[in-house]
Amino acid sequence: MKRALLATIAAMGLAGAAAAQDLTVGYIYPAPVADVGWAKQLDLGREAVEAAYGDRVASVVVDSVPEGPDAARVMNQMVSDGAGFLMLGSFGYMNDGIKLGRKHPDIGMIHASGFKQTDNFGTFTARNYEGFYLGGMAAGMKTESNIIGLVGAFPIPELVAEVNAITLAAKSVNPEVQVKIVWINTWFDPPKAQEAARALISQGADVLFSLHQDTPSVVTVAENEGVWVVNTGSDMREYAPTKLLVSVTNDWTDYFVREVGKKLDGTFSGADERGGLASGMVKVVAWSDTLTDAQMAQIKAKEAAFIDGSDHAFTGPITDQDGTERVAAGEILPDAEIFRINWLVDSVDGTLPK
Amino acid sequence: MIETLTFLLGGTLLAGTPLLIAALGELVAEKTGILNLSVEGMMAVGAIVAFMVVSGGGGYWIALAAGGLAALAVAAVFAVVVIFTLANQVAAGLAVGILGLGLAGLIGHPFEAQTVAPMPKLPIPGLAELPVLGPGVFDHVPVVYLAPLMALVTWLVLTRTRLGLLLRSVGENPEAANSIGVRVRLIRFCATVYGGFCAGVAGGFISVVSATLWADGIIAGRGWIVVALVVFGTWRAGRIAIGAYLFGMATLSGLLVQTTGVAIPSQLLTSIPYIVTIVAIAVLSMNPKLTWLNAPVSLGQPYLPSK
Repeated sequence: MKRALLATIAAMGLAGAAAAQDLTVGYIYPAPVADVGWAKQLDLGREAVEAAYGDRVASVVVDSVPEGPDAARVMNQMVSDGAGFLMLGSFGYMNDGIKLGRKHPDIGMIHASGFKQTDNFGTFTARNYEGFYLGGMAAGMKTESNIIGLVGAFPIPELVAEVNAITLAAKSVNPEVQVKIVWINTWFDPPKAQEAARALISQGADVLFSLHQDTPSVVTVAENEGVWVVNTGSDMREYAPTKLLVSVTNDWTDYFVREVGKKLDGTFSGADERGGLASGMVKVVAWSDTLTDAQMAQIKAKEAAFIDGSDHAFTGPITDQDGTERVAAGEILPDAEIFRINWLVDSVDGTLPK
Repeated sequence: MIETLTFLLGGTLLAGTPLLIAALGELVAEKTGILNLSVEGMMAVGAIVAFMVVSGGGGYWIALAAGGLAALAVAAVFAVVVIFTLANQVAAGLAVGILGLGLAGLIGHPFEAQTVAPMPKLPIPGLAELPVLGPGVFDHVPVVYLAPLMALVTWLVLTRTRLGLLLRSVGENPEAANSIGVRVRLIRFCATVYGGFCAGVAGGFISVVSATLWADGIIAGRGWIVVALVVFGTWRAGRIAIGAYLFGMATLSGLLVQTTGVAIPSQLLTSIPYIVTIVAIAVLSMNPKLTWLNAPVSLGQPYLPSK
């Protein structure tokens, strides 16, 4: 909190100096900007905005802002210092942001992974499940024990969709695959994520997925224990030079540049943006060179099909754990269902709270 | 099955070691009557300083010692405030703890999400080859073997030596101790900074030995478990050791059960260690004798020499 306060004071100074710009953009991140992680990916978006508009925009950044009263204070401060556009980088900033937007209809805001939009408050969410489908294919090809282990933060719809995509993908290339999942029920506890990873390895998993772990916790364990790993967020190749199978990363640059551009032109309005492989918001990078050409070709063909829309990660028939058919053969799970999904596909060896 | 047991044993030792080291330090401080609630912050400071040393090319032992000394400095701030200016121990402990957390995040900012190589293991010759027990118990870094020894030594010193008597007398009845010429405030100060040193080593263990990475908030509440463990163990080193390893094992069991796909909600499983801790404390408190015999009478009370 103390740091947030200090940063706010620094931000006031910056905003004062930047009064000559067309637009001051405020960025609020929930975590410190590190070499990798959620805040880093958002910050790359800021860099792209600055590169695209040069002197026309000024930036104010405050990181490590806890959700709640601190966040409300920081965003209010930014607006009263003249920021005309805000990027809110955490789900829990939602209600404070909307409230602020109502008071100041002239400012624009974009908000990460929220579900409420207003005229001046837009949201953005990545279709990570598309990227994880490709990672799941690679995992199904690579596993020798036929056990894939997932370390997840919380069983919220976004992660549940990812678990399902991984399972369907792995099954599609290797019907013998079994998927085990451990929910650690915290967004942030690296040692616990590592314990979960080791628990999965002790149960025979030889490919791990690090679902929304912001630090290289699981990735480090995988490298040290010699099992494959797929991670979320940033490219974590340098933390697992030999055992990183692939990274499912988020690239917000095009989206940020576009939305800030709309604000500059006066055409901004709050929309619900859900980007996947096609829009480049999800990028699957750092493929392990141990995958054979034939395997890569199969994966790339799927990626191309997702991009041109001829295929979808949740194409039926899909049956859930209770044996209920959720998607009929040939049908596609509608968007509204994907973003509030609360069931696991059959053959996942884990549970969701009822 | 064998891998599961090995994992459970090895993981329990790895998870329990930092809790035990920090709790034994807190025990000594509390035995002299000082309740230091800043463990979480001290562990964070120890963690980042140790991480900076290893990441700068320093050795692991030097790193752990440096982490300990940094946390000792934080504990010294707390000790001066509560022992010499007689501030409320609970309030001061919380404040210093928050200060430590903020400080760790601040100096750790350039190191955020970086990793270091793991500390080399020291397999015990002969024993490390045993099935299950070998890789589970006898194939660890030396610190893991030292922690139970530390519990034994702490118990011996507190109950069997003159020094232990001195420490306990200060915590039981500072007036009486003072009247026979014991320097109450000096002893309390030393015990408190010793507790800080232990917390720093424990934090360093998490950042450079078990997790091998730094991230702001990496202690993630373990400092509070340490404070609870001292009560859980009714201020006895042996019980604290059992509690630390039990907590570690409960955490790992919860994660393990999830991998088997048993239909128990994961939220329940991850909260089991905390439920176990609360129930144990409640059960122990129901037996007043057990608590009264070992709880330092003057715990949390400021003391001003009357002369």
